[in-house]
Amino acid sequence: MKRILYVLACIPLLWTAVACTDNCTETRVFRQYTPVTMTTTQVRQGVGISIAQPLVKPGKIYTKDGYLFINELKEGIHVIDNRDPSSPKTLAFINIPGNGDIAVRDQYLYADSYMDLVTFDISDIANIHEVARVENVFMQGQFDGGWWSYQPANNNMVISDQRVEYRTQTVPTNCEATPAQPTSWWTVNTMFASSVSSDTKAGSAGGSSGTGGSMARFALYDKFLYAVSSSDMKLFNVQQPAKPTFSNTVSMSGGIETIFPYKDKLFIGSQTGMLIYDNSNPAQPKPLSTFSHARVCDPVVVNGNTAYVTLRSGSTCAGFTNQLDVVDVSNLLSPKLVKSYPMRNPHGLGVDFPNLFICEGDYGLKSFNASDPLQIDRNLQQYIEDVQAYDVIPMGTVSGQKILLMIGRDGFYQFDYSNPARLRLLSKIPVNRPTLT
Amino acid sequence: MALIRTIGCLLAMLAGSVPALWAQLPVVERLEQAHPFVNYTELGGLFGRVAYPSGFGSPTEQVENKVSLTIQTFNGVQLRPRLAVGGVVGVDWYANALLLPVGAGLRYDLTRVEQNGVNLFVSADVGYGLTWLNRASTGNELTKGGLMLNPGLGLRFGKPGKGAFLLSLSYKRQTVDANKPLGWNDIRRDEHRVYNRLAVRLGLSF
Repeated sequence: MKRILYVLACIPLLWTAVACTDNCTETRVFRQYTPVTMTTTQVRQGVGISIAQPLVKPGKIYTKDGYLFINELKEGIHVIDNRDPSSPKTLAFINIPGNGDIAVRDQYLYADSYMDLVTFDISDIANIHEVARVENVFMQGQFDGGWWSYQPANNNMVISDQRVEYRTQTVPTNCEATPAQPTSWWTVNTMFASSVSSDTKAGSAGGSSGTGGSMARFALYDKFLYAVSSSDMKLFNVQQPAKPTFSNTVSMSGGIETIFPYKDKLFIGSQTGMLIYDNSNPAQPKPLSTFSHARVCDPVVVNGNTAYVTLRSGSTCAGFTNQLDVVDVSNLLSPKLVKSYPMRNPHGLGVDFPNLFICEGDYGLKSFNASDPLQIDRNLQQYIEDVQAYDVIPMGTVSGQKILLMIGRDGFYQFDYSNPARLRLLSKIPVNRPTLT
Repeated sequence: MALIRTIGCLLAMLAGSVPALWAQLPVVERLEQAHPFVNYTELGGLFGRVAYPSGFGSPTEQVENKVSLTIQTFNGVQLRPRLAVGGVVGVDWYANALLLPVGAGLRYDLTRVEQNGVNLFVSADVGYGLTWLNRASTGNELTKGGLMLNPGLGLRFGKPGKGAFLLSLSYKRQTVDANKPLGWNDIRRDEHRVYNRLAVRLGLSF
């Protein structure tokens, strides 16, 4: 009898030997691109005002005088009354096909619409209307990694664009950290180029301008609006804010992604490094130096003599680079790397010294104390992992609270960072976006 | 991080030796006579395999055999003549994951304790695999440890109250989550691992 029991006891062991297979699954969320075309007439006639709409694919954020402008990628701009950050109210939606960037000077809002720059009068929120349009100034650009292009020659009216969708894929792996290989390759270069728009710190000669994030391609300074596209910078004269005129183009190397004006300098984030331009003559910015990396390079923010640059994978030129670079720019002619810190997938960033906020894309938001540039990784104050963060704007003290604006794929968040180790959520405008699998 | 690892090591060593230290105290001596202290220390291999497609959406399957080193120590008390309960601490060297499982376990003799000979026993351990000892290449960090289950059977060769040799076979299940480097158009990439292994161990018991 006992022997039979022993034999029975061995059956689970046999089963174990058969069932001992590791089960590992890799889940990835990636962008998928589909070519689409449209005509310039469609784009130009698509401009209009409609009632407030929910966020679906939020892009960059821009704020001025308690009002908030959230770009809806390629669709338009949400206008939000944010005078009480704990309960923002959506007021209206401006339909602008092909919009990605925003800048506001006095009561005029500038927005790109594929190839055009459109100006809106926003003095009366109930009656926002188009007042001017500079046609055919932008030839190409990208939204969330998808490229668009337009050739105005020969009365061409067709704009080529790519629709971007997010897909989720799960695949069994060998449990050994080797990334599963896609079976097909897309040939499009991609970069998340469209999270938040940054703007200018001050306009000494101009009127009052708003504030944007670190991912912006538009910047207002003095009487000029600077708009960077992939290989150049367009200058628009906004001395008459209602009537911007195209001024000139400054050629640059390829892969320009963001612009950050600081004092009388322009810091430009590109895929190959950080470019510093002297802007003491705002009509003609002059290149001072380049901090090269030969890699993907993303937004730049500057405080005092220190520039913070995030680099993120997402290009064919570097397999894996996700880091924060701290760069000493006390000598603008020769910027020096102080230290690099590994990050997960950094996007926009914001500095309100000594607080440094870094968006980690789908992996959340990090709050650092950057007072010691050599120990930033050891001074992580808080890591909020359950948000999707693409860009931030630390607003500093606003009515007794320190307000941090943050936009991500899952919503627009406002935090009080009076205690940078315990960010307090003030409000959230959620995103309602379908997920594809 | 280095500090956490050091503390982890120390804790693991302490957890392993606390019952032994207790046993030295006179207060516990009487208790110990009623419920003697038991230690099972084993070393062995975790055997398994893995099957996976050669790429996303590929119908071609690849199969590999896997073996990892495992060390573990069980420290407990002989609650009943046949039953011992206690804590388990170990170290498992999986490929790209060095885990520190800690948990609770029991050893139950299926056969009557005999003066001379071989005893068959059942073991059952439940715990959590900590990632404190792991170091990963950038982008491949372990984000979370996970549940550890380890039921099995063993043979103990030796006289009661004296040292004995152990040979055990068990099933070990361990979950862990890891980062994956992001590809050029990825916005998220993570790996969830479930190790299902046959553990074959040799050891000593007293």
